[in-house]
Amino acid sequence: MIIERSSNWREDFIERVNNDGPWDSWTLYKMSYEVEKMNLIPEFTGLQAPKFLTNLQLLPHQIEAAQTVIEKMNGKAILADEVGLGKTIEAGLIMKEYMIRGLVKKALILVPASLQNQWVTELNVRFFIPAISYRRNTPIEQYDVVVMSMDTAKKSPHREKIYEQDYDMIIIDEAHKLKNHKTQIYEFVQSIKKKFCLLLTATPIQNDVFEIFYLVSLLKPGHLGNYETFQESFAATKRSIEGEKYLKELVNQVMVRNRRSDTGIEWTTRKVQTIPIQFTNEEREVYDMLCELKSVSSVFASSFTMVTLLKEMCSSKEATFLTLNKMLQKINAKEEIDYIEQIIEKLMKLEINAKAEKVLEIIEKANDKVIIFTEYRATQSYLQWYLHTKGISSVLFNGKYSKNKRDWMKQLFREQAQVLIATESGGEGINLQFCHHVINYDLPWNPMKLEQRIGRVHRLGQEEDVHIYNLAIENTIEQKILDLLNDKIDVFEKVVGDLDDILEKKA
Amino acid sequence: MYATEIHDYLKTFFKETNCEIVSDEGFQLTVQLTIDMDKRIMNRPFYWKYIEATNSEPNPARLTLITDRTQTQNQFMGEIIHYGSGRLNQIFKATKDLGSFVLMYEQVDNTKNQTTLTPYFCVNYKVSYYCDQTKETIHSLGINLINGVIEDNFHESICDMNLTNEMPEKAFCLQYIIKPSRALERLDLMIQNLITQDDHSWAEEAKNRFEKELEVLNYFYQDREEKPEIYEIEKKGLEERFNPRIKVEIINGGIFYLK
Repeated sequence: MIIERSSNWREDFIERVNNDGPWDSWTLYKMSYEVEKMNLIPEFTGLQAPKFLTNLQLLPHQIEAAQTVIEKMNGKAILADEVGLGKTIEAGLIMKEYMIRGLVKKALILVPASLQNQWVTELNVRFFIPAISYRRNTPIEQYDVVVMSMDTAKKSPHREKIYEQDYDMIIIDEAHKLKNHKTQIYEFVQSIKKKFCLLLTATPIQNDVFEIFYLVSLLKPGHLGNYETFQESFAATKRSIEGEKYLKELVNQVMVRNRRSDTGIEWTTRKVQTIPIQFTNEEREVYDMLCELKSVSSVFASSFTMVTLLKEMCSSKEATFLTLNKMLQKINAKEEIDYIEQIIEKLMKLEINAKAEKVLEIIEKANDKVIIFTEYRATQSYLQWYLHTKGISSVLFNGKYSKNKRDWMKQLFREQAQVLIATESGGEGINLQFCHHVINYDLPWNPMKLEQRIGRVHRLGQEEDVHIYNLAIENTIEQKILDLLNDKIDVFEKVVGDLDDILEKKA
Repeated sequence: MYATEIHDYLKTFFKETNCEIVSDEGFQLTVQLTIDMDKRIMNRPFYWKYIEATNSEPNPARLTLITDRTQTQNQFMGEIIHYGSGRLNQIFKATKDLGSFVLMYEQVDNTKNQTTLTPYFCVNYKVSYYCDQTKETIHSLGINLINGVIEDNFHESICDMNLTNEMPEKAFCLQYIIKPSRALERLDLMIQNLITQDDHSWAEEAKNRFEKELEVLNYFYQDREEKPEIYEIEKKGLEERFNPRIKVEIINGGIFYLK
């Protein structure tokens, strides 16, 4: 093996001998030796980083995760802890360890734009890693550790700039954004060199089994075979799989997943209930008319449009109206227009929103701070208005808010308002442990979105039991969504591992 | 490194580098840096370039370092310093730069007759083994410059001796027979031998890990006649990750005249 010899100590030394000096201080000489001895890495295994991280209270499961990734997974892994267990801390710890060991110098961290500053702060303050936030025109070749938003990174000219660098480590946060292999971001990540690589996601499967295949294939192509053999060996279809025990074992070779219950920390309980709701007769009438639309006009032939409309009807007339009105512009036939206008007329006459009334009832009974998640902006505004008429104060929240506005809304919620009404995109990156009630006003298709929502509240620092209310209107599309959610949770548990309750347990 | 150890370290370091200690409360230390020290640990090359280019009055920094934040009333009065902090790392680096080469004599009792001192040459080596993991060892090798005998752990054997940087009056220093440049070659050879004789199963294991992972990668692309570019990128990443390497660094070294 070749032995690298570094330092020009030799030449300098000979020069000093020839010139009879200058000679250094014996005290500093001894101190220098002591420092080297103290910082020495005496074993291939074990972690050196914790002793340097005096600003950080590391939890046992985080140390164990870092050690597993470094010693057993050789530095390439999916970190899939449940929400709120500190995946960022684990990633930072692993990166720090490699930096101390001289194995990583240049690192690239790809994150959603909303988390970019948070990452930079965490790395600098907690890990003393001099990371910088990438902005347009940042000369990345001059910085060792760069945090960049995924959306920026995948585009020209930033993409090309990244290809020119030679990164030792790539970290990707919210890696479930890479579940689709046909996306630009997937192809981009696929074609950067990944010497050491960490993918962070609490939800390695969101909708179907192939997502885990693509995620693992990004990290370690071939680990789950190629597409054909994967499909064949596990008889995989989107929502069913055979030989799941083997698959789970393979996945676990590249994935660390801590569950709240294995952390040794006392977790408060999640109390999940499904709240069935009956439409009023008037609402039912409109819903049924909407169902008929697909036979009335070809514009509604697409099941996507139909599903959207029906879901919206289960949410609020405001949300329904917006879509319906948009569709109306695309229609020319008179009888079709008449039919839609008839629906709109009935829609506008609706005075009672059965679901909103139920929300009011829950809020009054909870007599405490409540978060409501809805998928629609129109519903969000409507709920704020409705609660206001009942004397309940609320603040709105969505993912498009700037950092400042987010912090401001969070503070308002903590100090003044009783209710926070958030849209889906507001789910990531806020922590609201002071609240113990979550109403899922609309149900998303993806169970992991529910998990993300609940995770805002049920995380480290929560001191009380958390109540989750999943609202579903009977005999509507929402019931189908509930069934599908159950199926998806089932696949997840078979391949990845158990989940904390998201839906009420089936009897 | 505990707070008190850091405190003592800093105190010694600044005293030794002629930076005036303005105040010392036991948990915080205020020092007036010299120009040289400012350049070494303050990270402001542009400032110094500017001062030198414009011939302005240099104003090296006065630093207040808090070594125990639990005792301080006001954290904003200074810079909190602890094991792992960037500033301390810079001070460590400065220590290394300023403590690289020594020439020392063992103290001789002035009241006695002349004592003969024998020249030794010592190099402290750090040997690092790298693959996807790292391991480091220190070898302190000392060679007797008269008879060429080499011993390990040389630093440990002399670090507690009473040494001085000026030749004692009553000392007679033997002229070395082996020249220091030649001695350095011998020690370099010795360290190479030590490395060669060491257990290198770690490199074998890294190679096995590499081959296992390469096999997986090849399987993924087995049906492709022509491997795509990403295959090569991925393979290069694997090679870099597991490639076993050995690096030898010199921490410091010097010439010692000992009884």
